[in-house]
Amino acid sequence: MICPRCDSEKVNLLTKSPVGGAWEVYICETCCFSWRSTEDDDIKDPNKYDKRFKIDKDKISELDQIPPIPALLEEKN
Amino acid sequence: MAYKDLREFLALLEKENQLVRIKEEVMPEPDLSAIGKSAPSIESAPAVFVEKIKGYKNSVALNVHGSWQNHALMLGLPKNTSIKEQFFALDEKWSKYPIKPVWVNKEQAPVKEVKITTDINLFDVLPLFRVNKYDGGFYISKALIVSKDPDDPDNLDKQNAGTYRIQVKGKDLVGIQPLPFHDIAIHLKKAEEKNQPLPIAICIGNDPVLNFMSSTPVEYAQSEYDFAGALKGEPIELTKSEQGNLDVPARSEIILEGYIIPRERKIEGPFGEFPGSYSGARLQPEVRIHTITHRTNPIFENLYLGMPWTEIDYLLALNTSLPLYRQLKRDFPEVVAVNAMYTHGMGVIVSTKSRFGGYGKAVAMRLLSTPHGMPYSKIVIIVDEFVDPFNLEQVMWALTTRVRVDKDVVTIPFAPGMPLDPSSEPAGMHTKLIIDATTPVAPDKARDTELLDVPKKTEFWLNYLKNIARSEVN
Ligand SMILES: [Zn+2]
Repeated sequence: MICPRCDSEKVNLLTKSPVGGAWEVYICETCCFSWRSTEDDDIKDPNKYDKRFKIDKDKISELDQIPPIPALLEEKN
Repeated sequence: MAYKDLREFLALLEKENQLVRIKEEVMPEPDLSAIGKSAPSIESAPAVFVEKIKGYKNSVALNVHGSWQNHALMLGLPKNTSIKEQFFALDEKWSKYPIKPVWVNKEQAPVKEVKITTDINLFDVLPLFRVNKYDGGFYISKALIVSKDPDDPDNLDKQNAGTYRIQVKGKDLVGIQPLPFHDIAIHLKKAEEKNQPLPIAICIGNDPVLNFMSSTPVEYAQSEYDFAGALKGEPIELTKSEQGNLDVPARSEIILEGYIIPRERKIEGPFGEFPGSYSGARLQPEVRIHTITHRTNPIFENLYLGMPWTEIDYLLALNTSLPLYRQLKRDFPEVVAVNAMYTHGMGVIVSTKSRFGGYGKAVAMRLLSTPHGMPYSKIVIIVDEFVDPFNLEQVMWALTTRVRVDKDVVTIPFAPGMPLDPSSEPAGMHTKLIIDATTPVAPDKARDTELLDVPKKTEFWLNYLKNIARSEVN
């Protein structure tokens, strides 16, 4: 399976429906996108996912950090 | 107060014809967000209780705050109370701050009825669903998140209960958005400086007053619980978390306990936000969940937010207006009321009497230097004391008949802005607009005009007609 949003191949089964085998939810290890097997094709299909919301997996590390990670305090002895 | 928790409030709404039940099974997508979008659009704008969702065990409550009727009932007022009357009733209740909470044993806390510490799967408890189509995942959008100041863990006033968006990223893993100006970001910074995990509790399905207060901009060392108690006129019941020594509402439906993983950021978002547009993907902290406690048959209360107005616009209306009103009133006692209901205070209307010429502009500048007004407020309209700022027809009258465009309209370029405002450019900077629509007083001068009078006995006939209209409804 391929992530519909970032086209990564690292996709995992997150969960099956708690009741009655109704659906599964998948999650992308690379961009954290998650979706349900019963959603529309324009959510599940990498070719149909809206281009405005696609994510370039090579640029994830360049995204802004919120909030920024502060400097470590010196250990007091 | 006529209710003690979410369940009792839902029962009250149902009795007042402000709640509808959906008994047929619905799909998580697209039904739940479509229901959340639709509820505020019908006349009574009721809360909706969705009993069965395909594949899930538990029920969902939507639009609990999403109408002026529900808002009035939350404040213990009759459901047809006008917005302006609700504003002044809220101001009166606010004056009772602080009413301190009380603590109950874990055995007496309904939220401890069921406790899960192994094989945690959020989907087993929460009927999660996609709120807006291009959200990065399934969101918990109406939780109260409790954290403590790691340097001052016994100080209850510095304990924070705020609403921050939560993205589900695993069976026991969620992302959180603490913006730098949020109180929880102060706690997180202190924990991360020491490379320590920050314990938090994510409380879902709360007394509606708690959600109202957790999205109110109060000061850092003011307790949301003490305010919620003041609004209810009685203490909120708290209990201790299983770990981390947090004080959590005893009567919430579900509490997820965990800790923010220090010094790590992972991709989160986008998420459809309150200005009616998506906020982008960013690198944000994650939370590992180690314990879930919940009531038997817990109700998952969640928030749909869409193109305004939806539930969030009611939830962020008077609780944004009132702190601004009180801050202005301190220095400008002539201020009568503040309506900051538009997009979390990005648009504000203030009614005030003018002490001298240019007073309206001075009031506007003070508003723009309050902690909330400085980043959020962009368009400020000042009207006379006899104009109801909650009545947009009256406000338009003031704009059309009072504003001398060459003298009364001021812009302040490149001022602090709100990053979620899509017109702030670069994000976090915008230009302010002040429109002074008050009647000029000395030494300022206007052409001589005399206002029309209200006929004698108008009040008598107003009440008379109201009573006839009311008895025809019943
Ligand atoms: Zn992906």
